[in-house]
Amino acid sequence: MEKVLEVKELKVIRNGRIVIDGAEFEVLKGDYIGIIGPNGGGKTTLLLAILGRIPRISGSIKWFGKELKDFKDWHRIAFIPQDATNFDRNFPLSVKEFVVLGRLGRKAGRKINREDWEEVDLALEFMGLAEVANKRIGELSEGQKQRMFVARALVRKPEVLILDEPIAGMDASIQEKFYQKMSELNHKMNVTILMVSHDLSVVFCKMNKVICVNKEVYVAKVGKEAEEVLRKAYGEHFYFVFHRHECRGEFVD
Amino acid sequence: MIELLNYQFFQNAIIGGILIGIISAWIGLFLVLKKESMIVDGAAHTAFGGLALGLLIGIDPFLTALIVSIISIFLISHMRSKGHAYSDSAIALMLAVGFSIGLAIISVTRGFGVDIFSFLFGSILTISREEIILITLLATSIAAFLSNFHREILAIIFNEDEAKIMGIPVRRISICFNLMIAVAIILSIKMVGTVLVVALMVIPALAALRLKCSFIKTLISSITIAIIGVISGIIISAYYRIATSAMIVLILLLIYMIIVVRKRW
Ligand SMILES: Nc1ncnc2c1ncn2[C@@H]1O[C@H](COP(=O)(O)OP(=O)(O)OP(=O)(O)O)[C@@H](O)[C@H]1O
Ligand SMILES: [Mg+2]
Repeated sequence: MEKVLEVKELKVIRNGRIVIDGAEFEVLKGDYIGIIGPNGGGKTTLLLAILGRIPRISGSIKWFGKELKDFKDWHRIAFIPQDATNFDRNFPLSVKEFVVLGRLGRKAGRKINREDWEEVDLALEFMGLAEVANKRIGELSEGQKQRMFVARALVRKPEVLILDEPIAGMDASIQEKFYQKMSELNHKMNVTILMVSHDLSVVFCKMNKVICVNKEVYVAKVGKEAEEVLRKAYGEHFYFVFHRHECRGEFVD
Repeated sequence: MIELLNYQFFQNAIIGGILIGIISAWIGLFLVLKKESMIVDGAAHTAFGGLALGLLIGIDPFLTALIVSIISIFLISHMRSKGHAYSDSAIALMLAVGFSIGLAIISVTRGFGVDIFSFLFGSILTISREEIILITLLATSIAAFLSNFHREILAIIFNEDEAKIMGIPVRRISICFNLMIAVAIILSIKMVGTVLVVALMVIPALAALRLKCSFIKTLISSITIAIIGVISGIIISAYYRIATSAMIVLILLLIYMIIVVRKRW
């Protein structure tokens, strides 16, 4: 199986404190990975580090077999940051104009053409944003903004999709649709997905691996072996976390 | 009024003014969105030192001003990107240094009194045929760059980190954009002088943003407002012998106020 991402002995320090200590894991093509862990555990830090947005103290990161500093094919990856919707409300962009920005990054200065706009329309339709396509981005509700960022990620047609708590403001029906779309992308298009989520039942039902981040980074297949990982990551809170998703009867073995 | 159009100087002023108005409004819009409009004021005043230097050593003052303005813009944006605290104060400091060096040079060498006045307050009515050709060349190349890369620039302004992750060549585009700002500043100095450059570049954008529409409409409105301001400013100033730069800026302000009031209704 092709290795999408290979992380070795990654160590990241923020504000003089070790936030990621010796992370070591691989992401294979077609993986659907849930990234879990307590608040402040370092999930966002881990993502920003593997994307090269914050420096690391030591360790190696390889995307598609290439060292991070030599990796240039960023159009293969789409990323939605955690605080994405936290933008200037008065920014003069319509939803359509915003989503089409996702088509950038292949070749600088490439003219946006009909095909690009068709992709945008499809993505907006899919995320239920067709009616607000010509509204200004600042006029959307929080959940709509989040869907807009997902739409922008989708028009990139990424091979890897990285999402940092993407569903926080979405209503229940949109969440369901969103997860369906993610599974569809993963199964049919073989898109590799890494998603930070606090919803362990979803992680355990729909995804095939978990990465637990709490300073140290643990990786496990979804199933019984994940129990050990959860215990390490959540420490004393483990029983509560574990019990919760068991109660829902959604533990997949 | 009509006979004004027969004068060569007037035709030149209108053509040059429209071209300069278009690119300064275009670049101004990006700068306002980037919340960096004071860079223009800093660089324009620093460039005044460059103008004086050119006169002193006997080469085209606009060339030395361009070099000084490029240097100051790169210094300022370097400081800002490194997140140096007080980069606003640094702009103020640079402005003061450049401007006072300029004044000092000029007062020592006296002699070129007329030029100082045109540097400070612009000289679009005395623009020459050769200058028009140069302005056209510069303005079209800036317009070509901006129309090719405006989405990339927008993405960078919206969120530089996300733009980098998207694979947009942020560094290269930012460097080109900074060069364009410097050229636009020098051209605007030609038209309205160092003191009012920031007004010419920023007011059309501020007015257009008040309309609260999509990017493309905001851009078109901003450029339209600039063109209206420039044309009517030049006509009124030539007719009534009022300072052109003042007239252009006053009309831009008037348009801004009309938009604000109408939106309130
Ligand atoms: N911009 C920053 N500068 C310095 N330290 C930071 C910054 N952002 C986060 N940290 C620190 O890094 C640690 C990990 O934070 P991080 O945001 O990666 O956690 P997280 O797992 O994503 O949490 P959450 O579930 O709340 O999103 C925290 O201790 C935090 O204080
Ligand atoms: Mg986080």
